[in-house]
Amino acid sequence: MSNEREKKLQVKDLTISFRTINGKLQAVRDISFDLYKGETLAIVGESGSGKSATSKTILGISAANTIVESGEILYDGRDLLKISEDDYHKIRGDKISMVFQDPLSSLNPIMRIGNQITEAMLLKNKANRKESHKKLSATLAALDDAMKASGCDEDKDRFSTFKKIIGVQSKYEAPYSQAHSNAVAGLKAAEDMLLAIRKEAVANPVSEAKEVVDYFKASVDRFVVNDADTVKELYSSIMKAARSAAKTHNYDEMVPLLEKGCSLLKAAIEEEVPDFFALGCWTVLDGNVLGDEDATALNKKTAASLGSPFIIGFIADIKKALEYTSDKSVKDMKKALEVLAEAKRRLSSDMPDKADVDRIVKGVSDAVEKAIDPLETVKDSYAYTFRVSIDSAVKTYYDDIARNQAEEKRFLKQTARYEKLEAKGKAPEAKVAPLSLADLKLVQENLVKILSNMQQQFEKRVSDVSLFDFDKRSRSFMLWLRDTAMAEIRVVTKSMAKDRAIRVMEQVGITEARKRYRQYPFEFSGGMRQRIVIAISLTANPDILICDEPTTALDVTIQAQILELINKLKEERNLSVIFITHDLGVVANMADRIAVMYAGKIVEYGTADEIFYHPAHPYTWALLASIPDLDSKGNKLESIPGTPPNMIYPPKGDAFAARNKYAMEIDFEEQPPMFKITDTHYAATWLLHPNAPHVEMPEIVRDRIARMNGGAK
Amino acid sequence: MSEVSNKEVLLRVENLCQYFKLDRTTVNKAVDNVSFDIHKGEVFGLVGESGCGKTTTGRSIIRLYDCTSGSVYFKGQRICAGIQSYKDAISAARKEKSSCKDPARLEELNKVIEDNRAAIKSAKADHKNVDRSLLNQIQMIFQDPIASLDPRMTVRDIIAEGLIIKGIKDKEYIDNKVYEMLETVGLVREHASRYPHEFSGGQRQRIGIARAIIMEPSLIIADEPISALDVSIRAQVMNLLNDLRESMGLTILFIAHDLSVVKYFSDRIGVMYYGKMVELAPSDELFRHPLHPYTRSLLSAIPQPDPNYEKNRKRIVYNPVADHDYRNSTPSFREVEPGHFVLCDDAEFEKYSKIVSQG
Repeated sequence: MSNEREKKLQVKDLTISFRTINGKLQAVRDISFDLYKGETLAIVGESGSGKSATSKTILGISAANTIVESGEILYDGRDLLKISEDDYHKIRGDKISMVFQDPLSSLNPIMRIGNQITEAMLLKNKANRKESHKKLSATLAALDDAMKASGCDEDKDRFSTFKKIIGVQSKYEAPYSQAHSNAVAGLKAAEDMLLAIRKEAVANPVSEAKEVVDYFKASVDRFVVNDADTVKELYSSIMKAARSAAKTHNYDEMVPLLEKGCSLLKAAIEEEVPDFFALGCWTVLDGNVLGDEDATALNKKTAASLGSPFIIGFIADIKKALEYTSDKSVKDMKKALEVLAEAKRRLSSDMPDKADVDRIVKGVSDAVEKAIDPLETVKDSYAYTFRVSIDSAVKTYYDDIARNQAEEKRFLKQTARYEKLEAKGKAPEAKVAPLSLADLKLVQENLVKILSNMQQQFEKRVSDVSLFDFDKRSRSFMLWLRDTAMAEIRVVTKSMAKDRAIRVMEQVGITEARKRYRQYPFEFSGGMRQRIVIAISLTANPDILICDEPTTALDVTIQAQILELINKLKEERNLSVIFITHDLGVVANMADRIAVMYAGKIVEYGTADEIFYHPAHPYTWALLASIPDLDSKGNKLESIPGTPPNMIYPPKGDAFAARNKYAMEIDFEEQPPMFKITDTHYAATWLLHPNAPHVEMPEIVRDRIARMNGGAK
Repeated sequence: MSEVSNKEVLLRVENLCQYFKLDRTTVNKAVDNVSFDIHKGEVFGLVGESGCGKTTTGRSIIRLYDCTSGSVYFKGQRICAGIQSYKDAISAARKEKSSCKDPARLEELNKVIEDNRAAIKSAKADHKNVDRSLLNQIQMIFQDPIASLDPRMTVRDIIAEGLIIKGIKDKEYIDNKVYEMLETVGLVREHASRYPHEFSGGQRQRIGIARAIIMEPSLIIADEPISALDVSIRAQVMNLLNDLRESMGLTILFIAHDLSVVKYFSDRIGVMYYGKMVELAPSDELFRHPLHPYTRSLLSAIPQPDPNYEKNRKRIVYNPVADHDYRNSTPSFREVEPGHFVLCDDAEFEKYSKIVSQG
């Protein structure tokens, strides 16, 4: 696999079961895959093969009876299976987003579309502000302490001055960005209207013109469209012209006015972006007053303020503080490493009794938390979630012990009753549900794994300490402070959210977004509804989009549109997509790589070309043989006989053996390992073993592949 | 395919219209003036996107709806008839009569009214007094195997219900018949006492099929029988339908939105768009020469299990306003070459004929 590409998501040895009244159902068994940035990974399989269970676990929305038995889902250096629900809130929707199968049931029928799209934006903004406030005050307090300890000059006004600068920045920046985005939208609306006039396709001039001039009005700002009077004049004259045009159908009067508006907006958009932080420094530190100069001139004036003694001193102090906390944390890390090693030694052999374990775990957690550098801005490391994850692992261990005991009791009781009945000669109808015990060894291994992961992280950090560039870090720390302070006071108003929502709606191909914004889901067709679901999932700019059978409920033409849309968005936003489907035909167009799942296992894994042109697993053959294509007239389709196995009693050997006409004896005995075919292509079938007899794929698939390759040339 | 045209016509649909009143003034024309024949022993495919009226057509034929106008003939007998078109003709004639002075014309109009009244009478009579045993020979398989089976009835009751309604009381006969049907569709006798929820999707659809074929129908209307099923099970159901068609000599009206399935299964295909039939041709011919722009757009949307093909596939978008120029002419359903009908006007007819003659 190409190493230079960034891995967005790694799933390692994931095993998921569901607790049911009949016993433990093994939905996903030991699967691993990677997702690279900007690629589409398709997961294909029958219903019940565990595709949705996997995706739901990635998103942390699995059902209550789910047991994640082992495995890791690594995103951004963190194991999603171990983090707390609060941390998940920051990832779910924001970083990883999901498009569900049925657009009808994933939209709220009694909420307008607009509200559904903006709801998350507004809530997220509120949460972000709260979060930033908390983060900022905690960091500033820590910074203050560190500065004092590292022997910087006492300056009580330092932070309040900094906050004042940010206040000025935010005061000008927020209206600027809103007015700017309105100017962009207004320009587009005006150009559209001009086009419509040229084509004589204006249906309702007054309302259309109103929309355009509303944008004009909304883009008036100190740094965007400076000339409020001209806009006012333009507003009234365009409306007047529109009203007369509605009667006379003569648009000659309107065209020059609209063109004037266009050129006004175009000039405003092309103007230089003012540096608001510099502006803040310029007014607060040097005591200047903002006149009516334009952005270019202003930028020239304010640039010097960035080098003022306050800023230089501030950065230098930050550097000192950073060096101090970093040193301290490395010392603590070395201590923590010793504690970790000791804890690992004691927990990896026989488990000590509960009180001892609790004491050990508490000691380790305290040591690890003490080693955290309080001035670390990127908080996505193991150390922060260490206590939660190790506590939950310990809890799982003891819960499992209790559950195992109860389970054994039940089993003995049922067996006794069964035997009693049998002894009486009544052939009992009742079955004894088999014993399902949690594997304590496995749980314990998990626990130790958490410790060793932490150890690795700390060791790496300790050895990297000489590589730290504190000059760079102190500057980026100040920028981080600035952004967090901005985030604390940045308010997303309803109208801003509406603007954004309309833009996303246009992006996913909903026409007349402004009108559609106020409609209810039932007023949309199936394809349009699915577009709205996609729009909702895109408002937060996710990295990863999980599409769980997004087109299964739609018909062919709509399906093609939705697939094209997902492809387009993927290109535009460099998204990583996990595309789940049962229809191999759909993914040929979408997927870069394909994983075929059967009975909770990945049975074949490769690039799209490899899966379609050189399939190796009998199950993939069967899937390919069961879809008719446009040329496969007349010859009988190969259906897969039987049904998937009951995963409460997973078969001993290869799960597909019972339905596989190529099955050999070993398939019923032992599970096949993943055989490597090429660097990117793996399949789990004994047919690839060197001692296996040579087997040809079914004729219908072979014919089709020959035909396709012929067509490709 | 050439002998198809000589074959006996089993079902003839003539100018079928099915309107639904939405409110006092607006009417939803779900099926608008659709005509086609189904020959004995063939599979006739009906495709189109959701909401285009293909299911409504099937349901009107089996009289789940009372059709608005047009007639359906089955084995030569009219089994359903609508009267709206006659009513319209009468009211048009009356309107003309009120302003008409010419006595010869008046005479003519009176005759028109008289004729249409007679037609209404006979249509109503035909519609009411249709031979029920004839209707029994048309059976339907529904789209969703979960929703179409009563969860509180055993499989035996579900399959035998048609026979009981028909008036058969011999329990042993019914039981034997049910077992026979279960075995025909690939289930076993023991399944008869179970309930639908105990079956997988594919097995449930088999029960639906058994329920239909126990009446020994000559025509089966299969309304998207495989859309709700998993890919691997689809093949099972399609193979079953194919086997039954051969062993029982069934004629099938196959309704689906998935063109590759329809192509695999059908002898002739009708393409519907917003209540109108836009193209009708033998399936090979339709794929060789798709004439109507909507058909071409539909064909271009089919995904194929072939990455190279997919990377080069360009979807054609159908825009009825841009693709047709019907300002000066009204389109009608014409035969471009034997057996290949397209909805077009004069200019398009010439264009299409040229395409066909060029091969």
